[in-house]
Amino acid sequence: MYLPRVKFVSTIAVLALFLAVPHAVRAQATGATLSGTVTGPSGQVVPKAKISIKNAATGQSTEVQSDAAGVYKASDLAPGDYEVSVAADSFTTATQSVTLPAGGTQTLNVALSSGLSLGSLGFPQSETQGSAQEQARLNRRTHMLKVHQTLGLITAAPMLATVLTGSFAGGRATSSTNRDLHVGLGSLTAGMYFTTAYFAIAAPKIKGTRTRGPIRLHKALAWIHGPGMVLTPILGAMAYSQKSKGERVHGIASAHGPVAVVTAAAYGLALLSVSIKF
Amino acid sequence: MRNTLPLTISLLAISLFAATDRQWMLQSSTISYSASHPLHHFDGVSRAARGKGECHTGECQFLIAAPVKSFNSGDSNRDLHMLQVTRGGQFPMVMVRTQLPESEIKPGTIHADLQVQFAGQTAEFKQISFHVMEHGGDIELTGTIPATLTDFKIPPPTLLTIPIKNEIPVHVDMTWRAAK
Repeated sequence: MYLPRVKFVSTIAVLALFLAVPHAVRAQATGATLSGTVTGPSGQVVPKAKISIKNAATGQSTEVQSDAAGVYKASDLAPGDYEVSVAADSFTTATQSVTLPAGGTQTLNVALSSGLSLGSLGFPQSETQGSAQEQARLNRRTHMLKVHQTLGLITAAPMLATVLTGSFAGGRATSSTNRDLHVGLGSLTAGMYFTTAYFAIAAPKIKGTRTRGPIRLHKALAWIHGPGMVLTPILGAMAYSQKSKGERVHGIASAHGPVAVVTAAAYGLALLSVSIKF
Repeated sequence: MRNTLPLTISLLAISLFAATDRQWMLQSSTISYSASHPLHHFDGVSRAARGKGECHTGECQFLIAAPVKSFNSGDSNRDLHMLQVTRGGQFPMVMVRTQLPESEIKPGTIHADLQVQFAGQTAEFKQISFHVMEHGGDIELTGTIPATLTDFKIPPPTLLTIPIKNEIPVHVDMTWRAAK
């Protein structure tokens, strides 16, 4: 009666051992250990500090406490990236990142600073807490303005060429080739100009920033060359039409040249206003 | 009577010890960084720093902080660019911590070890000299922290594709007032 029971228990025990041993071996092979000493600003050890070790991938946290000598140790941690947060009374909580290798032991000594915190200085939380989103806005703004700057400089070349070819396309000149070249260059300039403008207009605005310095002149000049770049092609199209009919350019279309020159001058000044330190 | 003497001495010692504990508050400050580019030189100035010092048993801990946004170089476009490269959106404050023996806070020259948190990095500056002056009970400290962009892993901003110099010394002028 006893014999089958003993045999059954033995089988279960062997099976349990069989299942447990590989797991233990595996844990020994891959489980990492994090240890270190927590100290204060004068180098004194900090006992009873709470150490929270958060796995960056899983979000799982392991909590340990420093002993009387300020020493802490956490074992059997999965290898990977961790965020280690150390908190103790009268000290500012410290957070550090650490990467634990498989089966390895990592030492992370943490020096806590005094209880003086940004809060104790009276800064509002909204001012002291940053965000990845705000940084992303700043990055996007800088990227878009760099594109704006580069395209703006490139646009200056066809704009100058358009102004120069204008003297051969208008007035008493009768060559349709010169007119077509002028129109082609003007179209290219307009296309590039509005693309350039898009990158400045669509760049994210940063709250609480007052415009100071040369950028004020740069923006003010946009109120001249912006409408100028709308008006110039319209007047140009009218002048082209009149010229193609063999007529002398007349009426409002005759303002095409002066408007274009003023626009180009304002554009050139806008470029210089942010390129040269006045 | 004889039995109460040690207790009296102990109480006196404790009260004297406690009397040495005091706080320092930052009254005013001008913190400026200097940056150089082959085409020009510029300074970013902040007067928005706040600071506090706490002294216990002869040792004083100081914390000074300023919003990165508060530095004004006279060009908002450049300031926003600096805010971006210094990761000011994510780390909006620059913080300086230091520890000094209370006995050293007197007119003359002091040398302090500074821990500066900026742009998501912490850099240590050892034995930085500060000139200390006293004005009617207030203590004025002036000095320069020899900071560099690489100390804080900041990619150098560029103008016309030319980067600014790595050195960005930070000039400090602070006035502190002791408060019990």
